[in-house]
Amino acid sequence: MDLPVIIATFAFGMFAGSIGTMLGLGGGVLMIIFFIIGLNLPAQQAVALSLLAVIASSSMGGSVYIRDKMTNLKLAMILETCTVTGAVIGALLAMMMPVSAIQLLLGAVLIYAAATMIKGVREAETPALPVKGLTVKGEYTDECTKMRVCYTVIRMKLGLFLSLIAGVVSGLVGIGGGVIMVPIMNLAMKIPMKAAAATSNFMVGVTAAASAFVYFKQGYVDLYMAVPSVLGIMVGAYAGTLMMGKMRSNMLRRMLGFILAFFALVLFMKAAGVLSW
Amino acid sequence: MVDVETTISWILRAGVLVSAALMAIGLFINPSIIWMGVLVLALTPFIRVLMAGLYFLGQKDAPYFVIALYVILVLVISSLMKM
Repeated sequence: MDLPVIIATFAFGMFAGSIGTMLGLGGGVLMIIFFIIGLNLPAQQAVALSLLAVIASSSMGGSVYIRDKMTNLKLAMILETCTVTGAVIGALLAMMMPVSAIQLLLGAVLIYAAATMIKGVREAETPALPVKGLTVKGEYTDECTKMRVCYTVIRMKLGLFLSLIAGVVSGLVGIGGGVIMVPIMNLAMKIPMKAAAATSNFMVGVTAAASAFVYFKQGYVDLYMAVPSVLGIMVGAYAGTLMMGKMRSNMLRRMLGFILAFFALVLFMKAAGVLSW
Repeated sequence: MVDVETTISWILRAGVLVSAALMAIGLFINPSIIWMGVLVLALTPFIRVLMAGLYFLGQKDAPYFVIALYVILVLVISSLMKM
């Protein structure tokens, strides 16, 4: 394998890792697009490599976010039960139904979420709704504003249901859960942007690991490509955690909005058969 | 006792660093070492769920222990599944 490819993969890994960690996405979709369009790799190899990349960015970013208490561990664990269950259901469903309709639907949902994010809803207006059952609270220090942000998770049942759907969709479409989980947590459950991103970033590693082994057994991992992509992602992910701390929540939301709109476009192209993985 | 966040942070960091080292070394010596790095990386999220489960067991926090157990179960099932 030639040096330019290694360098390009490492560099793109850094880019995807920093964006992914900053916004809580993992960066898997960006890597897939790079592998398929940029390097012309077969779809299954691209997916296998991108799953590894997601685990790398989730673990690297997660180690920083959880140390800094940005990640809401309990919330992540509760929602993980639904996303992993959904992912298994989605993987089973994918074997028996055409997914282009779902891709179009998800694309439309992402456009809606993107518009809401870009418009910029005011944050930290946590309504004092009574929370029944498992109550989850959280707090963190926003490094940008130097303020202590406290929040109570609301609409837990809705959040659990949406997480299940998110898992099913990510299993079906092969797009990481993060793209869907950050809007769910931020828009529906009113979790502040930074906590939502850190918590989602933490969760995506588990979902990716669950499907990674399936691809490993089939031997789809190109070991020599894995090294620059994983190492690049790790460096980028670490940088991403530093950048996220310094950035304003609204800026992050706007960036996420544009990324979601871009992903929606990718999904429409996928549904139309222009892209496939 | 060290809190659960710090413990998980250490696990994740160890997983990342060990796998990065194995992958980088393997690049120059032997691809089977890269493979070991890949495995360490892929196992890292499993181990962090497991450790969180053990922590909550130690805390006698039954709901979260059950939650962790369930996630591990689904993870194992899904890794055994065929495409």
